[in-house]
Formats: sequence, structure tokens, C-alpha cells
Amino acid sequence: MIPLIDEDICTGCERCREVCPPQAIETAKKKVRIEAEFCEECGFCAAECPEGAIHIPFPKGST
Amino acid sequence: MDYPHVFSPGRIGSLMVKNRIKYAATETNFNTQDGFVTEREVAFLEAQARGGAAIVTTQGAYPDLLGEGKGFRGTMSIADDRFIPGLAKLADAIKRNGALAALQILHCGREGGVDLGYCLMPSVVPQRLSYFKPPREMTPAQIERAVREHADAARRAVAAGFDMIELSGIVGYLISTFISRYTNKRQDAYGGETIGQRCRLMGEILGAVKAEIGDKIPVGIRLCGAEILDDRGGNTLEESIESFRIAEEAGADYVSVTVGWHESSVSVITRDVPMGHWLWVAERVKKVVTVPVMMAFRLFLPEIPEKAIADGVIDFWEACRPMIADPELPRKASEGRVGEIIPCIACNLCFSRLYYHQPIMCSVRPSLGHEAEEAWGYRGFAPAKQRKRICVIGGGPAGLQCAAVSARKGHEVILWEKGETLGGSVLFASQVDKGEDELLRPIRYLEGECRRAGVGITLGKECTPEIVREYHPDAVVIATGARFKTLPAAIDCLNPAQIIGEGKRPGKRALIIGGDGVGVALAVYLLGRGEYALTLIEESGRLGRDVSPFYLWRFLKLFRERGVTLLTRAVPVGPEGKVWTISSPKGEKRVEVDHVIVATRETPEDVREALAGSAPAVYVVGDARRPRRLHNAVQDGYRMGMEL
Repeated sequence: MIPLIDEDICTGCERCREVCPPQAIETAKKKVRIEAEFCEECGFCAAECPEGAIHIPFPKGST
Repeated sequence: MDYPHVFSPGRIGSLMVKNRIKYAATETNFNTQDGFVTEREVAFLEAQARGGAAIVTTQGAYPDLLGEGKGFRGTMSIADDRFIPGLAKLADAIKRNGALAALQILHCGREGGVDLGYCLMPSVVPQRLSYFKPPREMTPAQIERAVREHADAARRAVAAGFDMIELSGIVGYLISTFISRYTNKRQDAYGGETIGQRCRLMGEILGAVKAEIGDKIPVGIRLCGAEILDDRGGNTLEESIESFRIAEEAGADYVSVTVGWHESSVSVITRDVPMGHWLWVAERVKKVVTVPVMMAFRLFLPEIPEKAIADGVIDFWEACRPMIADPELPRKASEGRVGEIIPCIACNLCFSRLYYHQPIMCSVRPSLGHEAEEAWGYRGFAPAKQRKRICVIGGGPAGLQCAAVSARKGHEVILWEKGETLGGSVLFASQVDKGEDELLRPIRYLEGECRRAGVGITLGKECTPEIVREYHPDAVVIATGARFKTLPAAIDCLNPAQIIGEGKRPGKRALIIGGDGVGVALAVYLLGRGEYALTLIEESGRLGRDVSPFYLWRFLKLFRERGVTLLTRAVPVGPEGKVWTISSPKGEKRVEVDHVIVATRETPEDVREALAGSAPAVYVVGDARRPRRLHNAVQDGYRMGMEL
């Protein structure tokens, strides 16, 4: 799943941009945007974010 | 039959086993966060069984409701009867396809509690890897509960229809933390100076499981044959080997020999470790037990386990990563089609994704996790509705993969490579370090796949827009790779293609601009070939951000040992003669260099512009689309092929 960014928490520190392997994160005016076309869903950004502003939804529910 | 020992029947406990290949357990993160098996997991293990392995092992299911034993977010649970229906689907999918179904029970111990704020251990030994949770010492009541939970889990596995049970006590998981001197400092009956004392929990779990399910269902155990924790006060080799003998005595029907903990500071499963390197550990175990001995760990080519079985070193070949890369490995090996096996390159992309809570992916098999989805062509592609003529420009991984898939769908495909050899930038990567020539294996596989699918390959010829137009294709796919950036013409600079590809050598003092995988690899390449004083600068805050953590730590260690100057958030201001000024948050630094090497890449916009309009559709894949890594190129090519 492509990460979701909570813009209210994001401080625009750009650390996510610096760890993104395919360089799919753009930052402008202290706001972060993920290019879905290039995102490989590695989760590095969520792990790096010091504010916990990046969340990757994980499926729940029974089969 | 090329591998008579691998394909001879065997026996485990009371079970006859059709050959000596066991798909070994791995987590996938395919399942739900609350522990239920998904259709994706079922399809993945069904593919493993269809591929011809005699035994297919599930991922390790955690046995406790709290999730203290849960190490990965998408791990399946076996902690309650409500999980049995999902587990039964797995057992059924495996058995329906002719394999024995083994259920692994896994309490992750020191690496558990992924959704909690702590993990459980025999004693509080602080984590060395920051990823893992702060440890809590288990109380006697918690130990008793854990033993009971393993036995209950085994009962549920049998109810779900599994043929075998496997316990996992490796790498830092619960059972291993009790066995190891490093993590077990207990003064009670579960700890002590002797290995026998520290094996007590393992013995109790094996005993409880056997008592619960009886003698008909074999119970095996995976243990660590060599912890490689000498720097942390881990078990001696003799102690580790003895733990296997104790396991047999406690009732284990087979043992699986593993090597290293996750916190060992030695390479264990990466390309720098030669294939078959760890067989000596299994050989030691084989001498002290009578039950079947198995091993995984870098036995990628079937001739290696073939010889090991023939020599009496192991009895069964466990394949994990090689069968993630190609579940059909056993069938292809048995039919003499070894060249058709999609080769694992030990990149550990699968493994590293687990730690970021993402489903596993494979660099060389994009269909991983999509085995049941027709569009992904795992069982073969449906013929395209309309047969197209497709030109692929560039014979690197992206181009080859795209051509192979397109041709498999029935298109008429022609591929040009301007060089004399297929492989693109993999040709450079394969020369960087010891063992990296393995990276050429997927190139040879893809070349074979293209030829088998009828792709016309032209080598040594640059494809111009005129050539494309003459051919009147329906679609053109640009897969020419990226190119290296250049500095203003007045500055003499080199790039990695000139150094690795053409054999040019910089002076001893070199500045490498760009510290992603390419710059890091170039530094490793040079340090392996001489005494260089290197300065490596990276614009972002992270050196080697696109390098697998399984490899990066070793490269960074090398850089430390060889005194490489590493600067992040650094940009070159410019040269004055031989002195370059580098600006970074640490201030301006001046370094005298003989050569500057530009390792940053850009897309070939001129190629794209020149080919615009040469066919009704023009696409770009791989590094030509955006410079990235091998798996991105393969994924790009594969998905392009799916779309065409």
C-alpha cells in the first residue's frame, strides 16, 4: 500500500525524501507528496519519519 | 536424471517423502494484521507445492494471542481455533498439489512483539538492533504458558490437516534465546552453565508437542548450528552442535541446521558468501544425530545439495529464497531445464521488506504475490488479443524482461543492444565485488527466456529512429538505461562506465560525486583494486539510500577501514586547479584530487525526443524512465510487457 501522509503532523523536514530509494517523494512549501507511479511501497519513509506522520495501511479482517 | 540424490525418495519419521527438496519457511507479510491467512498466501504456497517440492513449509505461525511471539505485521496466527479454517486452506492447497504440508510454529522471542511495546526473553539483554522491542524477562508462569501454547498450536495444525510440524529456534527467536549463552542468564531451571540446562525449554516444548499430537505426525526443529556471536559471548560451536543431539533425544524427527543470528556481524546469506559455504556446519550436526538433517543457506544451484546428499552431509535440501524466486525450481531441475530456473541473486529484497511491514517482493520474479492473478502470467500469459510488432531498444534487465513477457504473449518482438553483450548496467555491477558475478545469472536467464519466446535479438548495433521507422512497429519500448551526468566541458572527469567498462583508472586521489548505489559501488570497486584516497559526496542526507541494508553495512565498514571521506548533504562548489571545494552543513571543505568521478545519473531525454513519433506508441522503462535499481528495471519491463 502506498503510504499516507498526515499533513497536520508533517513538519516538512524532508527526511523521508532523503531515504526514498526511487526518489519518489517531492517536497514543496513544507508539504510532502509521493509520486504513486514511482513509489515501490518499501516503507522506508514511514520508518524514517520522526513525527510518525507517514502511515502505511495494513489489511485486517478474517478470511 | 541429473540429480539422482536430490530426486530420490526419503523418509521423515513415519512419512515417505517423494524427493529431498523442502520449501523452507519464510514470512511474507501477505496475511492480515490480525493473523488470518489470505488468498494471496494460499496462492503462494500452492505455487510452491505445484513446483514439485516434496515438502512445503508454511511461514512460522505465532502461537500466542497477545502477539508476543509475533515478529512481522502480516504473520499468520495459530493462537486460537478461529484460525484453523484459514490454515486448513493452506494445508489443502499444498496437499492437493502433491506435497507434504508442514506447519511451522514460531515464537519470535527477542524479535517478537511487533505490535507491542516489548518482547519476551529468558533474561534482559539489551537489543543491539534498534528495530526490535525492549526485552522483558519471562516469568516461570510465562514459560509454562509458552510451552502450553506450542502444544495447542500443534493440535490446531493437525486439525487443519498438516502432515508435519516444525518448530523454529533460530536467529534470536524464543527457543534460540534460551539455548544461547548470550541471552540466557537465568539462575533457575531454564538457565545455567551447561548447554543441557539451557536446552530445557526446547526439550519441554518438543515433549509437550509430541505428547499432544502423538507419534504419527513428525515434528522437526530448526536450530542454530553456529551462532557467530563470539563477540557477544554466544554459544561455542560444540554447544550449538550438542543442541541438535539434545533435540533428537527430546523427540525431534528431523533437524534443520541454520547459521548466524540476525545480530551476527558476519555475512551469512549474501553474495559474498560462496554457495555451499556453510555445509561444514551441517556435516558436524550429521555426525551427532541419526534423524534426517536439512539445510538451506546459499545452496542455490542443485548440484550443490546433490553432492552434499551424495556425500552424506545433509539428507534434505531446504530451498527458501531460490524458491521464492522460482517455485518451479524442483520441476525444472528434474526435467533437465536448469537454465530455465529464475535465479535468486541473494539481494534479500524479500527479507528487507519484511522489516518495513511490507509484503515481500522479488527482484527477479515480479509475479511474486500475484500467483493467482491471471494478468501476471505466473502460469503462463493468455495470448494478446491483437498480435503487435514491438521494438525494444536496449538489452539490459528492463529491455530483456519486457521483450520476454511481450513475446510470451504472442507479440512479434525484436530487441536491439548497441553493445556486444547483453546486460546493461548489470555488466558493471557484476564486477564491483567478490561474488557479484552472480548478478549475471538473471541476465542469462532472461536472454534464454527471450530466445525461447522467439525474440529477435540484434547485438552490436545502435538502433536509430530510421531503423525503427523502417520496421513499422506498433510500439517502441525505450530501455536504453540512464546516462551519467557530466561536468562543464572545461573540467576533465570520469564516470563509472569508463572506469568499470573501459578500464580507465583515476589517479590515487579521487572525488566521487554521487553517493547512491552507483557511487558506493564504484568506491568499493576501486578499493578492491588499489590504494585510493577517496572522497565520496552525496547531495541527500543518506549515503547509499538505495543499497540493501544487507550489503550496505559491509561497504560502510570497508569505507571506515580504508579511510574514505564521506560527506552527506554535500555539493561540489568547484575546482581551483586540483583543489575542490565541497560545501556541506559541516562548512566548506577543500580536498586536493587527481580526478573527479561523476556517479550521478540522468534520463536520456535526447533518445526519447529522437524516437518520439517513430511508432504509434512509444514507452520508456527502467533506468531510462528514472534511474533506480535492478528490481525496478525488472518490474518496469515486466509490467510494460503485461500492458502491451
